[in-house]
Amino acid sequence: MNRHQRAAARRTVVLMTVAAALLLVWVFPLIWAVVVSLKTEAEVLAYPPNVFFAPTGQNYNDALVGGFSIAPSLLTSAIVSTSTTVLTIVLAVPAAYAFARLRLPAKKSLGFYTLATQMVPPVGLVIPYFLILNRIGWLDTYQGMITVYLTFSLPFAIWLMVSYMEDIPVEMEEAAFLDKASRLQTLWHIIIPQVRGGIAVTVIFVFLNAWNEFLFAVQLGGNTVRPVTVAMYNFVSVEQTLWAKLAAAALIAMLPVVIIGIAGQKQIVKGLTVGAVKGGSRR
Amino acid sequence: MNAQAKGRVVLKGIRKTFGSFVALDDIDLEIEPEEFFALLGPSGSGKTTTLRMIAGLDTPDAGVLEVDGVDMTFAPPGERDIAMVFQNYALYPHMTVRDNIAFPLKMDRVEKSRIQPQVVQAAERVRIEHLLHRRPGQLSGGQQQRVALARAIVRQPKLFLLDEPLSNLDAQLRLETRVELKQLQRNLNVTAIYVTHDQEEAMTLADRMAVFLDGRIMQVGTPDEIFNRPQTISVAAFIGSPPMNLLPATLDGRSVTLEGHSIELRSAPPCPPGRVTVGVRPSHLRVDTGGIPARLYLTENLGESRLLNLLIGEKLIKMRLTEPGDFADGDTVPVLFDAESIHLFDAESGLRIDND
Ligand SMILES: Nc1ncnc2c1ncn2[C@@H]1O[C@H](COP(=O)(O)OP(=O)(O)OP(=O)(O)O)[C@@H](O)[C@H]1O
Ligand SMILES: [Mg+2]
Repeated sequence: MNRHQRAAARRTVVLMTVAAALLLVWVFPLIWAVVVSLKTEAEVLAYPPNVFFAPTGQNYNDALVGGFSIAPSLLTSAIVSTSTTVLTIVLAVPAAYAFARLRLPAKKSLGFYTLATQMVPPVGLVIPYFLILNRIGWLDTYQGMITVYLTFSLPFAIWLMVSYMEDIPVEMEEAAFLDKASRLQTLWHIIIPQVRGGIAVTVIFVFLNAWNEFLFAVQLGGNTVRPVTVAMYNFVSVEQTLWAKLAAAALIAMLPVVIIGIAGQKQIVKGLTVGAVKGGSRR
Repeated sequence: MNAQAKGRVVLKGIRKTFGSFVALDDIDLEIEPEEFFALLGPSGSGKTTTLRMIAGLDTPDAGVLEVDGVDMTFAPPGERDIAMVFQNYALYPHMTVRDNIAFPLKMDRVEKSRIQPQVVQAAERVRIEHLLHRRPGQLSGGQQQRVALARAIVRQPKLFLLDEPLSNLDAQLRLETRVELKQLQRNLNVTAIYVTHDQEEAMTLADRMAVFLDGRIMQVGTPDEIFNRPQTISVAAFIGSPPMNLLPATLDGRSVTLEGHSIELRSAPPCPPGRVTVGVRPSHLRVDTGGIPARLYLTENLGESRLLNLLIGEKLIKMRLTEPGDFADGDTVPVLFDAESIHLFDAESGLRIDND
């Protein structure tokens, strides 16, 4: 081994160690949750903790079909997240197309609005939204929750899609126009197929955000609309906290996130970098 | 072809500004049916802008565009029955070659059963029938260019617009494709408007051409007319490679005085004595003992010929020499201006002084 190879090897070792340490910090809560979810409630509280125990699937059973079943909430979350995602895409694609192609005076302010929505502390918005929904009778309704989610997801989705659409040469559309395609046909046949990757990224981000959302869900929802992030708290009460069932419920609720994360890994990385690479060109 | 040939394009007083910048100023053009018409000019002279106006991708600030006698100035592109080949081809990357070529037919609501035969026929015309299953990303530049051509001809449009279609090809392929393009246009009997900044391309392809400069049309004519009778100094200075030598001189009756040497014309031009500009093509100059002495400054060897850079007084001129001759840099060479082959321009207006 010469000097350079040794240096490279050393670098790899250091890199791996640091990465492993960071990874451990991230996955530790997950490991803890998995372990706890397989114990009985009594074992969870045992001190010192039992390293060896007989794993049980009872908590999963309870979380899904027991008295505090989160199954209805999973359905609610699915409805809210899917509706938010579908509506976001249906509205954001044509909107992003307009922003990418038309010379609009509002083009600059879109960027600002997007950033603003990401920067305002959500807590500051909860009360106004609560009052508004209360006034129009939309508290604890699907339309209320989805509308509130749309106010966050739409600017973000449009902003993300615009950067994909701006990459398509204008000539391609002009060629389509000359070939007698209408605006909508051009959007459908020429633009959308070329930004499928961008749509996938947007779908993933919007769905995950909606699925994971807690603050607005807990304030603006209720007995009718109780997403799984809120429902998990059924296992936490004044008298006791059912840690094992809570962990099981949390892991079940995480499942869609993990699946989407693995399936869309490539797209997510791309989505995270597209803003970084292209961000300079837009205000 | 048929008695009522289609594809007559008329532009009247077209003007286009971008902000305060005048991209096109008072453009008048008449393009005949089935003509191969070239728009030639240096970069930024407004050729593409004119083409886009004809295609309907841009609208003029003033003026009228008529196609076959119908006012089309503000008609949307899709209603113009025009096909265009873009400089970067603008192929649809997510579709196969087959779908690319079929797209105009699909949008035109051609019956499904009739689409495929037409696609194959168009592909055969440009010899890409073996590439139909590929995507544009899997093709070479030349093949992409053919796909763009096939997509343009498949619909049999009234007008065929081409914006520097050969500029992305290498020199060899460009020469080959040039010939094929001309043949294609002849076989299709369609009006073609062809934008290029390559004068050789315009000269070889076009039936007629318009020379653009700074958003104006300087001259319209056949390639021969434009090469042999440039109407202004600016056209003279643009056409030819290298272009004409242009030298200040004075005219008095039949005699032109150039750097102290006089040339006798066959007849007196119909204009008063005064300052003129003499134009002469490098290939029309000869070495002759009776010529004006010039100092050889630099020799460029072009293979088939040599280009002598000569100084007459302070003025640099170029002479193309096809015959052998031993000249060393620094030599004095006598250069003969043939009275038959010189062009005269008014020094003030820059307009050609006709003398025949
Ligand atoms: N959308 C636009 N906005 C502002 N200026 C423009 C626009 N399009 C063209 N121009 C300007 O108009 C002039 C003519 O442009 P045009 O594209 O017609 O030139 P061209 O003759 O095709 O040149 P080239 O050979 O380089 O393609 C140029 O100076 C160009 O900068
Ligand atoms: Mg151009």
